[in-house]
Amino acid sequence: MAEKKPTGTVLVAGAGISGIKAAIELAEIGYKVLLTDASPQIGGILAKLDNQFPTDHCGMCRMLPMVGREYASQYCMRKGLYHENIEILPFTELKSVEGDAGNYTVELLKKARYIDTDKCNGLGECIRVCPVETADEFNHGLTLRKAVYKPVPHSTPQMLLIDMETCTRCGECVKVCPTNVINLSAEDEALTRQVHAIVLASGVKLYNLKDFEDAKSWAVSPDVVSSLAFERIISGSGTFDGTIRRPSDGRPAKKIAWVQCMGSRNRRQKRDYCSSICCMFALKEAVLAKEKGGDEVETTIFYMDMRTFGKDFYRYYERAVDEHGVKLIRCRVQGVMLNPDKSLSMRYFDSETQEFFVSDYHMVVLSTGQVPYETHQKLADLLHVDVDSRKLLPTDPYDKVKLVKPGVFLCGSLMGLTDISEAVGSGIAAAGQVSRFLSGLDVSLLEEEEIPEPTAKDRDEPLVSVVLCKCSEKMQESSVDFNALGAGLKRLNGVGEVHILDMLCSDEGKQTVLDLLAKSKCNRLLMGACHPFMYRKSLKNLAKKAGFAASLVEITDLSSIVHRGFFDPQPVESGKRDYTRLAYNDLRGHIENLKLKPALHVESLSINPAALVVGGGIAGMHAALSLAQRGVEVHLVEKTDRLGGYAGTRIEHTIDGLTPVSMAKDLAGKVLEHKHITLHKNCEIVATQGSLGAFETKIRDVSKEENFYLTHGAAIIATGGHEGATDEYEYGNSDQILTQAELKDGLATGEIDVGEAETIVMIQCVGSRQKEGREYCSRICCIGAIANALAIREKNPEARIFILYRDVMTYGFTEQYYTQARLAGIIFVSYSLDNKPKVELVDGSPVITFTEPVLNAEMQLTPDYLILSTGVDAEASNREVGKAFGLPVNEDGFFVEADSKWRPVEFLKVGLYVAGVAHSPMTLKDAILQAEAAAHKTYAYLSGRKIHTAHTISRVHDAICVRCQRCVTICPYGARSYDEALDRIIVDGATCQACGMCAVECQNNAAEIMGFSDKQIMAVIDAGLSKDPVAATPD
Amino acid sequence: MDFSQSDKDLWKQIYHTKDLLHCFNCSTCLSGCPASHGDPPLLVRNLARMVVYGLEEDLLNDDTPWACVSCSRCEEMCPMDVKPFEMILAIRRWQTSNDETRVPTAIVEIYKRGYTQSVGTNTELRASLGLPELQTITKMPEMLKLYQEMLMKTPVVSENDYMFNEE
Amino acid sequence: MELCLFLGCNTPAIRPDVERAIRATMPELGVDLADAEGYVCCPAFGSFPSTDDDSYLASSGWNLSIAEAKGLDIMVQCGSCYSSLRMGRDHLAHDEEKLARVNELIELTGRKLECKTKVRHVSEILYNEVGPEKIAKTIKKNLNGLHGVIQYPCHTLFPSEIVGFEESPREPKALRILTEAMGATVDHYSRELQCCGGAGGFSKSSPAEATEFTKTKLDAIIEETKADFIVVSCITCLMYLDNIQKKLNEAEGTDKYHIPVFDYNQLLALCMGFDPKQVASICTVPRNKVIDRITAG
Repeated sequence: MAEKKPTGTVLVAGAGISGIKAAIELAEIGYKVLLTDASPQIGGILAKLDNQFPTDHCGMCRMLPMVGREYASQYCMRKGLYHENIEILPFTELKSVEGDAGNYTVELLKKARYIDTDKCNGLGECIRVCPVETADEFNHGLTLRKAVYKPVPHSTPQMLLIDMETCTRCGECVKVCPTNVINLSAEDEALTRQVHAIVLASGVKLYNLKDFEDAKSWAVSPDVVSSLAFERIISGSGTFDGTIRRPSDGRPAKKIAWVQCMGSRNRRQKRDYCSSICCMFALKEAVLAKEKGGDEVETTIFYMDMRTFGKDFYRYYERAVDEHGVKLIRCRVQGVMLNPDKSLSMRYFDSETQEFFVSDYHMVVLSTGQVPYETHQKLADLLHVDVDSRKLLPTDPYDKVKLVKPGVFLCGSLMGLTDISEAVGSGIAAAGQVSRFLSGLDVSLLEEEEIPEPTAKDRDEPLVSVVLCKCSEKMQESSVDFNALGAGLKRLNGVGEVHILDMLCSDEGKQTVLDLLAKSKCNRLLMGACHPFMYRKSLKNLAKKAGFAASLVEITDLSSIVHRGFFDPQPVESGKRDYTRLAYNDLRGHIENLKLKPALHVESLSINPAALVVGGGIAGMHAALSLAQRGVEVHLVEKTDRLGGYAGTRIEHTIDGLTPVSMAKDLAGKVLEHKHITLHKNCEIVATQGSLGAFETKIRDVSKEENFYLTHGAAIIATGGHEGATDEYEYGNSDQILTQAELKDGLATGEIDVGEAETIVMIQCVGSRQKEGREYCSRICCIGAIANALAIREKNPEARIFILYRDVMTYGFTEQYYTQARLAGIIFVSYSLDNKPKVELVDGSPVITFTEPVLNAEMQLTPDYLILSTGVDAEASNREVGKAFGLPVNEDGFFVEADSKWRPVEFLKVGLYVAGVAHSPMTLKDAILQAEAAAHKTYAYLSGRKIHTAHTISRVHDAICVRCQRCVTICPYGARSYDEALDRIIVDGATCQACGMCAVECQNNAAEIMGFSDKQIMAVIDAGLSKDPVAATPD
Repeated sequence: MDFSQSDKDLWKQIYHTKDLLHCFNCSTCLSGCPASHGDPPLLVRNLARMVVYGLEEDLLNDDTPWACVSCSRCEEMCPMDVKPFEMILAIRRWQTSNDETRVPTAIVEIYKRGYTQSVGTNTELRASLGLPELQTITKMPEMLKLYQEMLMKTPVVSENDYMFNEE
Repeated sequence: MELCLFLGCNTPAIRPDVERAIRATMPELGVDLADAEGYVCCPAFGSFPSTDDDSYLASSGWNLSIAEAKGLDIMVQCGSCYSSLRMGRDHLAHDEEKLARVNELIELTGRKLECKTKVRHVSEILYNEVGPEKIAKTIKKNLNGLHGVIQYPCHTLFPSEIVGFEESPREPKALRILTEAMGATVDHYSRELQCCGGAGGFSKSSPAEATEFTKTKLDAIIEETKADFIVVSCITCLMYLDNIQKKLNEAEGTDKYHIPVFDYNQLLALCMGFDPKQVASICTVPRNKVIDRITAG
C-alpha cells in the first residue's frame, strides 16, 4: 500500500510584512505554514504605522488574496492574520535547525505569556486591576502600560501577555479573570517540528534612541522623538488622538524638524551604509504633519542627500516641497539645545549665504535608521553557515532570497535594507523559491474540502432560521438577555426558528447546529457568533453542509455586543445601554436584509495553464525558467533576435562583482534547452483578447512578416529598458562628450584611453528628476558613475575625476561604494536643479562652469572627457504592449502595478504581472527578485486551474446605463471596461471587489452591487433605528 | 576659479593620511564649532574642501585655522572620521612651513624658557600659599640647554634658527 | 597610589592656589604626588603641534619620559596639557617610527621612552581611583544647600577614543557625581557641554564674538539654574569663566554676572578644612559667600 505523501510544510521565521507575505503566498497554494515571531505579536514595524507613502493611508490588507475573497475573507491586516493553512506562533524563538535539504527538524521555544490566549476573551479586566505601570513599547514610551498588557492595542483577537520583568505577582489579575486563563507560573514550551523548507524573515529593528551614541547629543527633551515615535504621536490610535502635540506638555507642535541619517551613514560609528527608507519616511511624516496640523504647521527636514530613488518617490518629493511647502535644508546638525520655553534650538549653516542660522522648533524628529547585522550571526550559527563579507547571510550572488543552504530562503530586511515594496516583493519571491524547491520533493498539498453549493430556495416565501451563540454562560448573565432576545426575534415576520446554543466555535457546537438545521424548513440562515473574519469560512461551510446557499446566509458579530455589555460598568437603571436591545436591532436588520436577498450565483471558469512572458531579458528569462521548472508551459516572446536584453548584452561587470552578460548567456542556454519553454524571437505583441484565464494574443513575427496566435492563462510583462538619450550639455557636438554606457563600452574595448587624461568630469541626473524630462530617479546611475570612475582611477591614478551630482543615490549597502570612491580621490560636487552646470565648447572641447556649493564660488573645469549620466528610459514599445493587454503605462512609459507597496508585481487586471525595468529602473538583483515574484504569482494563479467569481459583485442595468463610462474611470480595481463591439459596460466578475465606488459614481443607478439594493439597505437602517420593544416575557 | 590652476596633490602635502578624503561636506563640524562664531568664522568643512581642491593661495592666506579652540568636538562628531582637528593642525603646519611669518611666537618663548610664560618666578606668592619652590626647567640651565639642543634638531627650529638666537 | 604631577604653566604661574588645593587634597585621598622636575610646555596646541611633528612629539616625549623614569603615570589638571600630552602619547604609542625618532631626539637627556606612562586627568583619578564614596567620607564640611553647575573640560571629552574616560562623551557625569558627593545640588543647564570659549585663538582673534559666545553660556546658567558656583576642572575654563564676568558687567553696565568659579579641587580643599586663603584666594568674581557657607557649615 502506497504511503500517503506528507503535506509540504514550511517554517516562516519572522512575521513582519515580508514573512506574512511569504506565508500567505505559500498557504494559498496549499502548503502548511508555520509562522513564528520572536516578539509577542505579528506585523513587525508596520503594526505601528497608520499611514504609508505614497497614498498616506494604510494598505496592508492589499496583501491579502483578491480573488476568492468571499472564501478567504477580507479583514484589516493590522488587526491580525487569519488563514486556515497558517499556524501562527508569536513569542516563539527559533532555537535550532538540523537536517538536510527538504528535511529539517526545527526546535522552537514558545515563551510563556502567562495567559492562555486561546481562551482569553481579550477584554482586559486584568489590565484594569493591574497595579504596575511601565513605559509602553508600542507607543515608544510616550504612554504607560500595565504589567499585563496588549502588545498591539488594535490586534484581534487580543493577544495579552504578562511582562514578568515588571509584574509584582500580586495576583489581582488572577482573581478578576472571568475565564480563569491566567497562570503566573506558566513556563516556556519547547516545540519540535519537521519542515521541508525554511523562510527566514526576522527583519530588522530601527535604532532605539537610547541605544546609540549619536542620539545622546539629542536627548535633551521628551520632544525629541524617533520617527517611529512620531508615527505613534500622529496616529489616531496613538498618544494624542491624532493631533500633533509635543510629548513634554501636550501643547500643539507647530514647528517640527526632521533630522536625517540618525544611526546611519556614519563611518566613525562603523555604520557606513544608508538605511534606505528614512528620506521617504521623513517626507511622508512632514506631509502628514501638514495635512493633519493645517497650513500653519512648518516642517523642515535637515538632510545630506534626499534619497528619493524608488518608483514615484521623486514625484512625491516634488509634491512635498512644491505643494505642501516642506522645507529642506542640506546640513547635518550636531545636536539640539533646549530653551527655557521648552522649544528646541538648532544651529545650521546655509551654504548659499555662507551664514549660520539658529531656528527654534517645538518638536524634533530623529530619522532613526534600520539596524542591519543584528540577527545575522545568530541565524548563521543556527544554520551552520558563515556570514558573508558584509556580515549578512550568504546568498546566491544573483538571487537575494536564496540562501547558499538548500531549502532555506530569506526575505525582507534580512537581505539588506528594504522598504515595504521590496519586503513584500521579496516575500513573494521567497515563496516562489520555496514552491520551486518543494516541487522537486515528494510532498503533497493540503486538500480543500469540496462542499457542493446547495440549490438556493429563494423562490419560496422567505423563512429565516436564526442561530445564536451565547459564547460563555458567565458573561451573558449581566449583558444580553438571550431568552428575551430569542423570544423577540421569533415573533418577527419571516423568522421560522431561533436556536440559542453555546460554543459554536467548538466541534460539538457545530455538530449541534448541523443536527438542528437538518430538520429545518427555513430557506435563509442568520448566524450570530464570534468575530466573522476569523470564523467566516468555517461557518459558511457549516451553512453549506446544512443546505443553505451561500448568498442566503448572513453571519454577524454578536460576541462584541455581548462582551461590551459585560464590561460596561454602568448599571442598566442608571443609563447603561440596553445591550439586549442593541443585539435585537442588529439581528433584526440582518433578518430584514436576508428576507429581501436575491440568490446570487458564482461562475467557475477554467484557466488556460500556459503562460506568456513578454521580453527575453534577464527578468523575462528568469521568470520563464522559474515557471517552466514547475511544469508550466511558457511562451517567451522577444522582439529582437537575441536574448539578454540591455543588461545581458551591454553590461559585462557590475560594481558588486556580477557579470550580467555571461549570466544572461547561461540563462539563454537553459531557456533554449527547456522542454516547457517555447521561444519566439523577432516577435512583437499586436493585440490581446479575452480575460480571466483565457487570453488569446496576436503576435507578429517581424522577420517572417507573419502573424500567429498564442493562447495563455496569464502573462508576465518584462519588457525592460535602456539608457536614456539627451541633447543637453553639448552632447553630440564633441567626441569628448559621452554617455556612461558609451564610456563603459569604450573602456572595455580600449577605444577610449583614459591613461593620459588629466581631468574627467561626470554630470549626474542629465534630463532626470526634473519636470520636463525623466521625472524620476533612474536608481542605477550614481552607482554606475562610481563604477566607471573607479575603473578610470584604476587605469589612471593621477587623473582628477569630478562627479557633479544632485543627490548621491547610494542607498543601502551601496553607500560603501560612495565612500570607496571618495577615498580613491574622486571628488563629488553637488549642484541644484535651478543652477545646473554650464557646458561650452571651446575649440571643440568642453569647458564646464558651475557653482561650487561648499565655498559658494564659481568654478571652471576643462576635462579630457565629459561623461553624462542620462538615466534609464522605458522601452518605447511599452505603450503598444500596454494597449494590447489593456494595461496602464505611466507618463514616464513604465507599467503601473496594482499597488506600489502591497502588490508590486501584479496588475489590477487578473492574470497579468510585471517584472524588471518594465516596472521601473532597478538593479539587476532587484529585477531578478521581481521576476521570481511575478513568476510565483503567475504559478499560483495558473495552478488554481479554476477561477471563481464572487457572489457579491457589481452589475450593470444596461437599459438605464448611458455608457458615460464614469464607472470605468473610477473603478479602483480595473474591473469595469467598455466593450465597443457590444456597446456595453462589462464587469469582470473575478476582478470586482464589490467596493461600491461604481454605484456611488453612477448618476442613473445603473451600477449596482448585487445583494446591496437600496431596499435592503433601508430595511437594515429601519431595523437599526427601531424602538419596538423587545419581547419581555420568554416563551 | 579654474581648476587647472589648482594643485591636485596639495592634500598629500598637507595631510598625512587619507582620512580627509572621506569628507562628504555634511557640515556636522560646523554646527557645534565654537570658533565658527568668530569673525571671520572658522569653517572647518570649507577648509577641508579647499585642501581637497588644492586651493593653495587661498589656504595660505587663511587665518581661520588659528582661531580653533582645540576642543576636538568636530573630531568626535564627524560621521566620516575625517579627524578635522588633525586637519586644522596639519593646515597650520603647512602654512608655517611655507610662510615664516606664520611661525607662532609661542615657540620662541618655549625655546627660551621651556614655557610660553614665566613659570615658578612668583616665589613670594607661592610661599604665601604654602607652596614649595618649583623645579622648572628655567631654573635648570643645563637641562634647558639640552632641551634647546634637542629642539634645534627639529625642522621648525632649525629652519627658522635666526628667530631663536639670543639677542 | 603615586602619580607624577604635571602642572603646566597657567596653574603655577597665575593660579597657584589651585596647585595648592591639588597638592593639599590628593594625598588626603591616598594619591601621593611627585613633581616632574625639568618639565617643559606640554606643548600647547598653538605652539609646536602647529608647526611640525618632530618638535611636538619631542616635547611630549620629553615630558612623558620624566614620569616614565620615575615609573609613574602623569596626572594633569589643565585641559590643554592633558589633551596635548595624551594625543602626543597616542601618536607615539601607535607609530614605531615616530617613537624611534623621539627617542633619538631625547637621547641627550639619557632618558628613554617606551610609552608605558599613561596620562590621566585629575577628575578621572578622583572619579575612578578615589571614588565619590571616599570623598564623601573624607570631607569635614560640605556643600549642603548649595547649587552648583558644571563646566566639563572639552579636552577630557573629545575625541573620546584618545582622551575620553566617560561612558559617553555626550553625557559626561564624573564631575557632577564628584560634586554631589560633597553635598551640593548640581543643576543641569542647556549649554552644559558648550566650550568655555577660552582656549586657542578664538578669544584673541574674535574677542567680541567670543565674549558673546560665553555670555550665552552664562545667561543659560543664570536663567535656568540656581547656581551658587561653577565647578571646573581645567585651568583655562577657570580663568576664562572667572575673568569674563567682570568684562561682561563692565561692557553691559550691570552686575548680573557674579557666579564664583571654583576648580573642583578647591572645593574639595575647602570641604576638607584647608585655609581658604591658601587654596581659593585668587579670583575675579568674589567667592566669599560660598566660602563662608562652607566654613560656617
